[in-house]
Amino acid sequence: MLRFIARRVLETIPVLFIIVTATFFMIRFVPGGPFTAEKAVTPEVMRNLERAYHLDQPLWQQYANYLGRVIFHGDLGPSFKYPNRTVNEIIADKLPVSLELGLLSLAIALAVGLTLGVLAAVKRNTWIDYVCSSAAMIGICVPTFVLGPLLVLTFAIHFGWFNASGWYTPIDRVLPSLTLGCVYAAYVARLTRGGMLEVLNQDYIRTARAKGASETRVIFHHALRGGLLPVVSFLGPAIAGILTGSFVIETIFQIPGLGREFVNSAFNRDYTLVLGTVILYAALLIGLNLAVDVAQVWLNPKLKFE
Amino acid sequence: MRKKRSSGWIGSCALLCLFVAIHSGCKRTDSAAPAQQVLRISQRNEPADLDPATASLPDELFIIRALSEGLVAPAPDNRPSQPAAATSWEISPDLCTYTFHLRRNARWSNGEPVTAADFLASYRRVLTPATAAQKAPLLFMVKNARAFATGQLDNFQAVGFRAPDAHTLVVTLEQPQPRFLAYVASGPWIPVNPRVVAQFGRTWTRPAHFVGNGAFTLAEWQPHQRIVVRKNPAYHDAFRIRLDEIQFIAFDSGDTEERAFRAGQLDVTMAVPFSKLDPYRAEHRNELHHASLAETRYLAFNTTRAPLNDVRVRRALSLALDRAKLVDRVVHGGQEPAFRLVPAALRDGDDRETRLAGEIREDPATARQLLADAGFPGGRGFPRLELSSFVSTPVTEAIQAMWKTELGIDVALVTREARVHVAALREGRYDIGFITAIPDVADAANLLGDFTTGSPANYPHWSDPRYDELIARAAHTPDAALQAGRLREAEARLLAECPLAPLYFNATNWLMRPAVRGWHQDPLWTRFYQDVYLHED
Repeated sequence: MLRFIARRVLETIPVLFIIVTATFFMIRFVPGGPFTAEKAVTPEVMRNLERAYHLDQPLWQQYANYLGRVIFHGDLGPSFKYPNRTVNEIIADKLPVSLELGLLSLAIALAVGLTLGVLAAVKRNTWIDYVCSSAAMIGICVPTFVLGPLLVLTFAIHFGWFNASGWYTPIDRVLPSLTLGCVYAAYVARLTRGGMLEVLNQDYIRTARAKGASETRVIFHHALRGGLLPVVSFLGPAIAGILTGSFVIETIFQIPGLGREFVNSAFNRDYTLVLGTVILYAALLIGLNLAVDVAQVWLNPKLKFE
Repeated sequence: MRKKRSSGWIGSCALLCLFVAIHSGCKRTDSAAPAQQVLRISQRNEPADLDPATASLPDELFIIRALSEGLVAPAPDNRPSQPAAATSWEISPDLCTYTFHLRRNARWSNGEPVTAADFLASYRRVLTPATAAQKAPLLFMVKNARAFATGQLDNFQAVGFRAPDAHTLVVTLEQPQPRFLAYVASGPWIPVNPRVVAQFGRTWTRPAHFVGNGAFTLAEWQPHQRIVVRKNPAYHDAFRIRLDEIQFIAFDSGDTEERAFRAGQLDVTMAVPFSKLDPYRAEHRNELHHASLAETRYLAFNTTRAPLNDVRVRRALSLALDRAKLVDRVVHGGQEPAFRLVPAALRDGDDRETRLAGEIREDPATARQLLADAGFPGGRGFPRLELSSFVSTPVTEAIQAMWKTELGIDVALVTREARVHVAALREGRYDIGFITAIPDVADAANLLGDFTTGSPANYPHWSDPRYDELIARAAHTPDAALQAGRLREAEARLLAECPLAPLYFNATNWLMRPAVRGWHQDPLWTRFYQDVYLHED
């Protein structure tokens, strides 16, 4: 297993390199630069700006300097948009917020999703199944930008229990986590139900029952392990998405997370911030996919580390 | 084993219930205590920095002007600049030398006296090429300032700033300039404490380091969350300031902001979502506020491309537009139709009400005739041009329909990302572009100068020697009234040649709790916090 992980980690190096290189050049070729504005700056000012941010150097030299700084110093450079902050500082500032929102949402998604999914599978074709499956279907169909404002209108404006937006106190975490968690819960519920139904028909479940195992043990010990496989495959990219922040949720609730920085950096042509967030996201995605592979082998004895 | 598994599962469900229960039982927190005067304002754009030298957006100056003040400050209601760090000033008879007398009791927020040398060091910093100050050209009227900023001159002694003593600053101009004080009131003229900047470098604007000479000091800056400024007891007019604290709370979305206002988390919003304008007009009139802005939305015609290189075509397109209808039925936010380029706030007193000869008024019959004269009778044979915009707006759709109805021509609507749009206009890769003319200071020359040959904001890529000459002559006219007259002449020339079609003068709508009193803002987005206070009925 260690060899498998080591090989996969080594494989990520060229992948990351290609991603960084492609991003570096693609963002530079997008029309408009960091200093493009409706009230255009004069040519002499533009020259000063380009010199100050080393944009007057040849592109290959900027690329080499950037790579050197990132590889040897772990320095993602100063932000183009926010001159008094470095990209490292911005990420260190925003990532914990996105992580906190992501982990809370994930907890809600798993708790609600797994419960609904298992209930629906075990009580298949009963009213419980219909209620759980409908709830999951509604969760998938209602987008976050509808659910979020609905929760705000109800619980913040009508009942006055929460703030409508912001990220100051623990209570401010409730509505955004619930909004983001519900959507993922819906997917988890559907995948769990499907996975469980498939497993519950297998011979080894019948064997377990025949050997006199209780229904609780059959479901939680024998069936759930196999039934979770589709959920685990889904969770890899989902966790990456959920942890790195959600642009929509962060905007609806005005949360200072990384998701908004990522999107806005592209609009601002903040070259270094775009690259910094892309590197981080790519590394997270690769890392979590690896974790999913490891988890799948652990859950499914038929798979091996090859 | 069996028991452990199921109890773990039940346990996690119970934990979640507990989490929800605890939180739903909590009281929401409101940071404003009733006895304190705390004003909560929405901040739409996160400031790039709070350095007056490099600030380029009004949003940054919303905060910077609370923290620091220049020699003079803009005055509300279009009045001339008012004393700020300077109590008085003298103007030499040739209008080339301004002598500012600084306040003797002025202190930085760290207790140091504010001296003329600090102003000198600040202006040197703005003009130093390595500072890369975007708005440095607002100092270029000063003798040799441009040469220093472009690196042609190394010796700052030769630039027209002098400090004969600690409380006197003498500024010498390249040439007489009647509107100079409007420039002195602009952002880059606000000083910084040179010792603090030298000590902390690019991080001097962080709350732990920030030092200003304004009515408030920087207490907190949580990026994309909030910026808090507190009353500065060292400020010379501190006795006048009634607010203890201003919180600039970040809001990227107008809808989120409006919900926060309704939930009581905000006192002043930045805007009102379009769909909410009518409900507020009907039900909460006392919370809805409106102000005109010195910004002109216009259509730039790419004069380097056929058939837009023909003035008859450009004029026909401009005359076919019903601006009043556009404003009343489409934009619908209290904007004024623009029959000329220069907004009222930039005009002299007597020019504010009068009509300019050559204003563009709706005239479809003449428009059709002009189009026919240009070789496109009834719009036949007219190529399908693109009308591009940085935002998907019903305005361009209405324009498309008006041209179809009145002239029989078809244009395609294109929406581009904001910077892509501006870059396309800048590089002349467009046909007709929807854009805004924004002045930096209350001076018509600042706006009209954008359309001289080679100016970077000359999006129509229009070049007219007569217009260039009129603008240059106005710049060399020392008399204010005479200069205004020449600028009017230039504007009339611009309207006759139609490199652009003005549409409407922008306006802003915002929501404000009735408890907020003494709120003033001017058409250039300057806010005046000095007289603001909260009074609950």
